[in-house]
Amino acid sequence: MIPIEFFLAFAAILFAIGAYGVMTKSNTIIVLMCIELMLNAANINFIAFSAFLGDATGQVFVIMTISVAAAEVAVGIAILLNAYKIRKTTETDALTSMRW
Amino acid sequence: MFVEYTWLVPLVPAICFILVGFFGNKFDKHNGGGYLAIFGVAFACVLSVLISIEFFTSEAYSDPGYVTQQFTWFVFPGGFEINIGYYVDTLACLMMMFASFISMLIFIYSLGYMHGEGKRKRRYFAEVALFVTGMLGLAISSNFLEMFIFWEIMGLCSYLLIGFWSFSHPDGDDKADNAASAAKKAFLVTRLGDVSLMAGLFVLLFAFKSLDYTVVFDAANIASVDHNLIILASLLIFGGAIGKSAQFPLLDWLPDAMAGPTTVSALIHAATMVKAGVYLVARCFPIFCEASSVLLLVAIIGGVTAFFAATMALNNMNIKKVLAYSTLSQLGYMFLALGAGGYMIALGIETGDTALIAAGSLGYTAGCLHMVNHAFFKALLFLCSGSVIHSTGTEDMREMGGLDKKMKITSITMLIGSLSIAGFPFFAGFWSKDLILEQTLHASQFGAAGWVFLVLWILAIITAFMTAFYMFRMWYMTFRGPEGKNSKHCHGESPRSMTIPLMILSVFAFGFGFVLFFGFDSLLCIEIEHGQFRVGGGEAEGFEYLVDFFTNVWTYVTIALVLLAIYIARAMYSKRTIDPAKFNKNGESWLYKALTKRWWFPYMYDQISWKLGYGVARGVEYVDKNIVDGTVNGLSNAVVGSGDLMSKAQTGNVNNYAAVVMGGIVVLFVAIIALFFFMGGL
Repeated sequence: MIPIEFFLAFAAILFAIGAYGVMTKSNTIIVLMCIELMLNAANINFIAFSAFLGDATGQVFVIMTISVAAAEVAVGIAILLNAYKIRKTTETDALTSMRW
Repeated sequence: MFVEYTWLVPLVPAICFILVGFFGNKFDKHNGGGYLAIFGVAFACVLSVLISIEFFTSEAYSDPGYVTQQFTWFVFPGGFEINIGYYVDTLACLMMMFASFISMLIFIYSLGYMHGEGKRKRRYFAEVALFVTGMLGLAISSNFLEMFIFWEIMGLCSYLLIGFWSFSHPDGDDKADNAASAAKKAFLVTRLGDVSLMAGLFVLLFAFKSLDYTVVFDAANIASVDHNLIILASLLIFGGAIGKSAQFPLLDWLPDAMAGPTTVSALIHAATMVKAGVYLVARCFPIFCEASSVLLLVAIIGGVTAFFAATMALNNMNIKKVLAYSTLSQLGYMFLALGAGGYMIALGIETGDTALIAAGSLGYTAGCLHMVNHAFFKALLFLCSGSVIHSTGTEDMREMGGLDKKMKITSITMLIGSLSIAGFPFFAGFWSKDLILEQTLHASQFGAAGWVFLVLWILAIITAFMTAFYMFRMWYMTFRGPEGKNSKHCHGESPRSMTIPLMILSVFAFGFGFVLFFGFDSLLCIEIEHGQFRVGGGEAEGFEYLVDFFTNVWTYVTIALVLLAIYIARAMYSKRTIDPAKFNKNGESWLYKALTKRWWFPYMYDQISWKLGYGVARGVEYVDKNIVDGTVNGLSNAVVGSGDLMSKAQTGNVNNYAAVVMGGIVVLFVAIIALFFFMGGL
């Protein structure tokens, strides 16, 4: 059996890649994808702990998360499409006029 | 029988003030209510004479030496009770008699003098009626607060009357501006003294829990109060007297106050206002005599003012200004007399020497007698100068001269006034001035500070010489010598309403001094029984004074000096055998310049008010701008600045927000871990 530390390390690496992408990439699609990466890193942790503890609650949570994430991505893409219609771009550097 | 109605003495002129002030032009088209004002003050005069006669003759009043009746005005927490009422003793009787009598004559004179003022006579007569109300109320007040109210009414009236011509002056706008600034100066300078007086009243109220004369002057109460508090109160009250009576160093407003009508000057100088300061010191003798040093200060201020004011009169060309300086000088004499007498009384109390107290009491008599004498001759002199100004249309003595043929009555009455103030033998001023000089010399024999009185006596002798000189310089320049340009078209003697008061006053200016031989000294002296002061009730020495006067070698020295001064003035300004220009080097000598500049007193005031006042104002402005405003502005700047700073964080860039969120999570995480460590977990 693979030790739990491997899962946790893998999830941490995945999360770090996602966080790095969110903070640095200016392409909004890639930012959304990186958010998915971070989300899935958390999912992996859930699964790992669930298996480790022999408790199915974690897996139930993951299914819930996946469905919520799907809805969230749909909303995010819809916002992006609208933004693209108005501003003809989806670069985050160009979409800075929405502050106060 | 009459004493119970003492409260009517100030009330009737006050009612006349209201009636004249509101309806003067309605019921009296020609004189603006002048006759009603004269009636009011005449009523007060008759009533005060009746009160005085009753008070002096009735046995019932002789025991405590005063009559007082008062009711509670208001009470405030801490057991302080303020009363209102009247207090009659011989000093109050004297004050109200001469103030109302002289005011009455001045009012009658005003009918002629203010003839050309038209509708503004209403304002004039209303204000002078209020002025007299202030003086009469001051004289009969039963406590310090009531006295202070009347004191301030006089301050207000002097401001209004000095500035009577500040709206439009018969001689042009410059004079009107001059009148306005003189009024302001009089008001502000006396205000300095009044603040000091008010502080003195607070000290008294703190010490005695009452401001009634009967409480404050009670020997048992004085003994039970802290000695230093009484000295402090005396000094502060004397500060008020300095301001009101224009003594050194607050003397500069009085010469400027000549900008008002001459009748107003006569009122201020003779009957009201400046006499209030002398009255206050005379009234407060029981507390002043607690310390000889206070009275030494009174005497020094008086002596120094007498001397310096007399020097300033020596070369002045304005007939009214000469009289103004002579008033300052004579007031100085009064304070000198009170100071010298009080000094001896205070020393007598300290050493238990009753003979010394009796000797000092004579100084009090001298001061009061000089106050009344001065009131008569100074009213006379001012009204005479008013008569001259009225018919020549100038105040400059160089434009007068040779008027004695055209204005016989004025010239003779003014001669009587001048002889009286100069101290010519047997005229009123002679007796009181000689008594003052004698008292000052007498005081120099006692105490450690006796030598000061010797110096003051020498100054006073020189002042007597200068007084005779400048008065006769004025008389000769006005009535003798070659005709000036304005005396050529002088339109003769003044009307009856002006000359009759002059004649009445000249009788008093000559003869009032003789009251000294008919019991004046028994009415106005200080008697002390078991430590309790009272005014009056002494023994009349009568004609013994005559012996005292004429066996004293210094009397003859003074008379000789006065005659010499009159002779020099005659030689310089009438006969022209001595050229005045030789003394002042045609106005080039430093002394002449110093005198013209009034010993730099106005300059000193300017410097003090500019340097000190402006400096203080600048300091206050600095505090206001940088500390008060600075705090407020700094706060708002801090808020705006931090807002600006924070708004920079709002880049609008999603990546930055995400980074901040990440950073926040990291910080939270580290904090939680640290917390676990502290709690001993993990």
